[in-house]
Amino acid sequence: MPLCRMENVTKTYHLGNQAVEALRGVSLEIEQGEFVAIIGASGSGKTTLMNIIGCLDVPTSGHYTLAGREVSNLTDDDLSLIRNEHIGFVFQSFYLIHYATVFENVLLPTLYAHRGTDEATKRASGLLELVGLKERAKFKPNQLSGGEQQRVAIARALINDPELVLADEPTGQLDSKTATEIMKILAGMNDEGKTVAIITHDASIASYARRTIRMEDGLIV
Amino acid sequence: MKRLAGIIKQAMKAVTAYKVRSFFCLISVALGISSIAIIVAATEGAYKRAFDMVGRFGPDSLLVVGGSEESRAIGRQRKTIKLAYVEAVRQAFPTAYVVVPMTFVGDTVVSYKNKKHQTRVIGSTADYSRAWTWPVIQGSDLVEEDIKGLRNVGLIGQELSRELFGEMDPVGKYILVRRIPVQVVGVLAERGITGAGHKLDNRIVLPITTVMRKLVNETQYITAFRVRFLDQANLKAHEKELRLFLRQEMGAPDDEPDPFRIISPTAIIKFLVALSGSLIAFIGIAGIICLIVAGFVLANLFLLSVKERTKEIGIRRAIGARRRDILVQFLGESVIVTTLGGMVGFVLAIFGSRLLTYIAEFPMHFSWKAFAMGMGLSWIVGITAGMQPASRAAQTEPIEAIRE
Ligand SMILES: Nc1ncnc2c1ncn2[C@@H]1O[C@H](COP(=O)(O)OP(=O)(O)OP(=O)(O)O)[C@@H](O)[C@H]1O
Ligand SMILES: [Mg+2]
Repeated sequence: MPLCRMENVTKTYHLGNQAVEALRGVSLEIEQGEFVAIIGASGSGKTTLMNIIGCLDVPTSGHYTLAGREVSNLTDDDLSLIRNEHIGFVFQSFYLIHYATVFENVLLPTLYAHRGTDEATKRASGLLELVGLKERAKFKPNQLSGGEQQRVAIARALINDPELVLADEPTGQLDSKTATEIMKILAGMNDEGKTVAIITHDASIASYARRTIRMEDGLIV
Repeated sequence: MKRLAGIIKQAMKAVTAYKVRSFFCLISVALGISSIAIIVAATEGAYKRAFDMVGRFGPDSLLVVGGSEESRAIGRQRKTIKLAYVEAVRQAFPTAYVVVPMTFVGDTVVSYKNKKHQTRVIGSTADYSRAWTWPVIQGSDLVEEDIKGLRNVGLIGQELSRELFGEMDPVGKYILVRRIPVQVVGVLAERGITGAGHKLDNRIVLPITTVMRKLVNETQYITAFRVRFLDQANLKAHEKELRLFLRQEMGAPDDEPDPFRIISPTAIIKFLVALSGSLIAFIGIAGIICLIVAGFVLANLFLLSVKERTKEIGIRRAIGARRRDILVQFLGESVIVTTLGGMVGFVLAIFGSRLLTYIAEFPMHFSWKAFAMGMGLSWIVGITAGMQPASRAAQTEPIEAIRE
């Protein structure tokens, strides 16, 4: 069974009385353990697709099943729980909580978790070590470089041990050397069995993935 | 539970992080709460003072003063009570265990050697101390022989004692009341002021016979008399009966007001509460307006904050926060700020009330009630004013919030 399975998914946004068809019938399967890159022109629907994969948004029509569960019947609370337990997000602008320390940022998802979090602080230290920021645990995000902030965001994405890691242009604000470091970390996670999907405009970044999905005008081509 | 504790901790971090917002909300709430706390303290203070005074006046006592309300107001003669009524009342009211006549003479100069002081002279029967439950702390009380013999002896209050004798022991010394030499036989304990603001400690108590014959040359009329009843529970009924009895004795026509006044413990309480009431109402209205303004300030600043923190809300939603968790966090921030505001307000109130007591001799009494009221109101403000911004935050769609 594929981890993600989309069938003829559409997504239409309404801006006033104008409808924008961001996805126009997308079918897609992502297997457990894959490393997928989503590429395409600006406005082609990549972020929309990723938001649906990550249960941040629901399709207008069509079916989406995540780990065998049909998402369209779930409540907002169910979706929150799925995001918390099964999905890790990494964003282009890092999105750390600026008034919390690095360590607290990494721990943040455990706050909303249902399952036991006794091991959480230990795991957080381990993850900070993994991304090479152990000494920065007490820092505030604005005391870190962009690359360091993105590594904190990755640690945060991994704290609840999700099956699926979604990264929307994770290297978009970083120089190529830092981008390479970030990609190595993401590739390492894939090696350990996590399913990873990234959006990128950069062919060299896309080359880390084993499969490339190209989007054009709301469709996979 | 652990989740709630964690979210509240986040709220506390945000409160300290957004200092300007927190500061303004806190101050505006503090001002409102402090005025409210002052009111509660003032109300309690007024009641406490009233009950203290009633305690000293005697909860089982009535004081009948000559002269109608009107004649008193225009300062006309107050001679309506005859000494003979005292005996008549004693006969008519079997439960009246004390019925004592009194004559007051105001603004009388008393001197000792070269020291002079203006005071009030009270003519009383024996056992003044017992009639008023007012201890004699030095020397002894007036006795029956003093009254019968028209003796020139007296008890003095603390203020008069201080003014004339300083640190000296006044007992046994002779002083001049107008031109009459009087020997001080006792000193009364400190007593404070009455509800109407009379200083009780500036007085000299002489045998009523001495005052009537030697000082004011009067044989028939007295200023007032005091009655204490064994059955305190029936005081209200006794007051009515006494009123009718005296009207009859004096032969007052039905359509005329009482030619005397009866002062009772309830009258004292009413008078004091009315006195404090206007100030309390004023501060109360000010406090409520302050709190409403504080609520609006908070709601608006929090709404701004929610807009400014859309990304934070989005990211929290993305990593698994439910709408409810967001609501709790923002509501928590609001309640934390108003709680702090309430505490600061309470401290302000304590200082503010010191000032009020100092400039207006206003009685204040801070108890847990003022604190509880302040806390309760600050929570109400925190929840009502914080609810709209918090639910706005909770309604934020994650994809809208995190769009770059
Ligand atoms: N919340 C929204 N409301 C209205 N229109 C939207 C919304 N989100 C996306 N769109 C529109 O849907 C289309 C697809 O947007 P999407 O963000 O998925 O593109 P993208 O491929 O991620 O582009 P980029 O590379 O610039 O990030 C665009 O035309 C965009 O304007
Ligand atoms: Mg995008």
